[in-house]
Amino acid sequence: MSPGDLATTSDTLAWLAVLSYVVAATLFGLEFAYRPRWLGVAGLLVTVAGLAANVGAAVTRGLAVHRVPWGNMYEFSIIVGIVTVTGFLVWVHRRPEVRPLGVFVLLPAVLAMALGGLVFRVPAGPLVPALNSRWIVIHVAAAITGSSVLCLAAVFSILYLVKERMERRQRPPAPPLVAGAARTADRVEVDQAVARHASIWDRVPSSDTLDHLAYRTAAFGFPIWTFAIIAGAIWAQAAWGRYWGWDPKETWSFISWTVFAAYLHARATAGWRGRRAAWLAIVGLATLLFNFYAVNTVIVGLHSYGQ
Amino acid sequence: MAVELRPPAARPDRPPRRPGLGDTLRLAWREYRSMRTALVLLVVLAAASILGSLFPQEGISPQRVDQYFGDHPALAPVLDRLGLFDVFGSAWYMAIYLALLGALVACLVPRTRALVRVLRSRPPRGGDLARYRTRAAFDTPASPDQVMATARRVLRRSRYRLAEHPEGSGEPQWGAQVGRGELAGEKGYLREAASMLFHVALLVLLVGLAYGKAYGYRGQAAIVEGETWANARVGYDSFSPGRFFGPERLAPFQLRLDDFTNSFYANNTPRAFVSRLTALDLDGRELRSQRVAPNRPMTVDGVRVFQSDYGYVPVVRVQDRNGKELLAPQEVLTLRDPASEVSNGAVKVTRSTPQVGLQMVLFTGLRTGPDCPPGMDFCNDPRLSRPVLVVLAYQGDLQADRAQSVFSLDHSRLRPLGDRPLLLPPGRSGRLANGMVVSFTDLKQYSVLTLARDPGVPVVAVGAALLLCGLIPSLYVTRRRVWVRAVPAGPGTTRVELAGLALQGKPAFEGELARLAAQVERGSGGRKPGPPEDRGTLNDAKDHAAAEETRP
Repeated sequence: MSPGDLATTSDTLAWLAVLSYVVAATLFGLEFAYRPRWLGVAGLLVTVAGLAANVGAAVTRGLAVHRVPWGNMYEFSIIVGIVTVTGFLVWVHRRPEVRPLGVFVLLPAVLAMALGGLVFRVPAGPLVPALNSRWIVIHVAAAITGSSVLCLAAVFSILYLVKERMERRQRPPAPPLVAGAARTADRVEVDQAVARHASIWDRVPSSDTLDHLAYRTAAFGFPIWTFAIIAGAIWAQAAWGRYWGWDPKETWSFISWTVFAAYLHARATAGWRGRRAAWLAIVGLATLLFNFYAVNTVIVGLHSYGQ
Repeated sequence: MAVELRPPAARPDRPPRRPGLGDTLRLAWREYRSMRTALVLLVVLAAASILGSLFPQEGISPQRVDQYFGDHPALAPVLDRLGLFDVFGSAWYMAIYLALLGALVACLVPRTRALVRVLRSRPPRGGDLARYRTRAAFDTPASPDQVMATARRVLRRSRYRLAEHPEGSGEPQWGAQVGRGELAGEKGYLREAASMLFHVALLVLLVGLAYGKAYGYRGQAAIVEGETWANARVGYDSFSPGRFFGPERLAPFQLRLDDFTNSFYANNTPRAFVSRLTALDLDGRELRSQRVAPNRPMTVDGVRVFQSDYGYVPVVRVQDRNGKELLAPQEVLTLRDPASEVSNGAVKVTRSTPQVGLQMVLFTGLRTGPDCPPGMDFCNDPRLSRPVLVVLAYQGDLQADRAQSVFSLDHSRLRPLGDRPLLLPPGRSGRLANGMVVSFTDLKQYSVLTLARDPGVPVVAVGAALLLCGLIPSLYVTRRRVWVRAVPAGPGTTRVELAGLALQGKPAFEGELARLAAQVERGSGGRKPGPPEDRGTLNDAKDHAAAEETRP
């Protein structure tokens, strides 16, 4: 195949992946709402198919441009899809009860990829000289993996907050001191209301499990993110003659690093464990998104590779 | 975290005492080195860094700071006073990270002491094993001594640090079972040690950073093709030395730009730009020769030389109407617009009356009409394919005695000379309206190089390596204790009890304890049918609360 054909194949596969993820997210969502297990299993199969298309899109893009397929924001978005979905599948493999959460993992992945395809798409092409280094393989790969995994951790933290709120609401109220007919009717009504809500949310793992998932995911992503920053510093030393210069991209990766460091500390600090720590992870997610979308496009810096 | 693994012993109540100043200070010091303080400082540091990315920074783009001053004349001086144009060098930013590092050191001291204490002491007794969440028990025909020997072997193989507490030893603290012979094992000290290494590495990193900043320097220099440049303070167009860097420390060498090439892809985006540089010592002996390109710096005498930018240098000569030379062939540095590859420059002829200023626009490949995108009369091909120098002449007072840019003219006392610009290809001349002759004799390129010396880099590199080495074990190693007891339970039967406590990674630890129990069982000759196995229950909140309690 010629490079042009490969690039076209890559684009088709990327959209196929997005489409599969949308279908899978719908199936997971339906399982989440209506409970039949087969929906979730079907969703899992479609996710795996989508992942295959996603990997295919990255590989053909790489073959078309004769370099690693993460040289611009569009390609970055494709890899984000791969890492996030793979991370989710690993968790499903280790803890099957996570599966109904698929809808919450796939939708962000779909959003990232669709945004990449609609807004940041660039035709397959070579790299500008400044990016032409073997460090792009290491630094950018680590940055994509680290940030995607940390985003996944923040998604678990969001779910933790929701679930934790549900659990607090569902905690049975104290039994009435005087058992009366009216009060019993109230209780029945309350129980029914609780049951209606629960129909969706009791499928979600307990808040403790979600907190644990979020922590484990963040603890996996944080060293990778640290390594990505260090690799970036090594590259900056080779390319620009300084390993650190407070370029906006550097500043924001440092901010994300600091916030997730705070999250890891918060989980071991009395008074911060639980909800406050989860909020820190969400702030971390916001900084990661800002770093990728706003810093690349709006703020002027050495990393403005948006176009 | 230094953590006490045993349940807190009941302390006799002390009579209440009025808190004095010393107590307040001690309390404040405790609060300062607490994890909560570190946490708040981390969040504050992140918030402060955001400010540095929202406002243009003096150290990164001074021209954007100037622009901000122009756009917001009222607000900018206030922001400047607050240090918002130099956040990362400002006193308050420094105060935040120094406070954080102070807290870090303050927290490392008691942690080191605690770790040393733990490493010196023997793993303590377990007390009432029934209280632990993670337990296993079985009956075996082997004798208690045989079981304990096996347990010792099994735990040692799993690299537990062991302590044997013989029967009758220890203070009777936690109930009736105290004093029985038991084996206590502990492992996972690496977590705390690695965590401390991580924090020490942060200090190393910062020391290296400060050292490099203070004793290093960074500067930019432009060299025209074929010329030799001496590494001296005056040779730099911009120069930012560290606080303790003296210009006499500049390494004695020269650089010669043998040639410069740049190339473009078919879609006109840059493909490569390469300077062929030769380093010479002060006597002109060649030290080394290298092609310097983005991502491919050269090192001379500890100074790293990087390719930064490039531009064009038209050589221009000006004569009056009689052929008398007003300006000998001069290399005119021009400023290149990276988007269009069109360069701008200026020539100032001060020897004529009135003075004449030439504004010059250099096209690398001037294209017209059909060769250009629709709607454009002319455009520029970034390749050096058809260079044309467009000369716009002005006359009047150049005000050359005032400081001004070398790339442009001060138009305030100038008026146009003639109504048509000259279009000159290399080697051609043109006559201005006042009869002056402008010749475009040659076209060269210049290369902008960044030269930097940072003696802190090795220290920072070591710090970064230690950081990673410490980070991973500090997140993944878990500290845990195991206790084993074997007591006779009827004729030819020994009851074996195992209990354990893990501070982190509890789900994995439950599997580990079950595995250890199975190994001890297998090693001591298998199971004897007996009472049902005693599995841990989950209602054991007490030891749990004690275990979770952490201290910085």
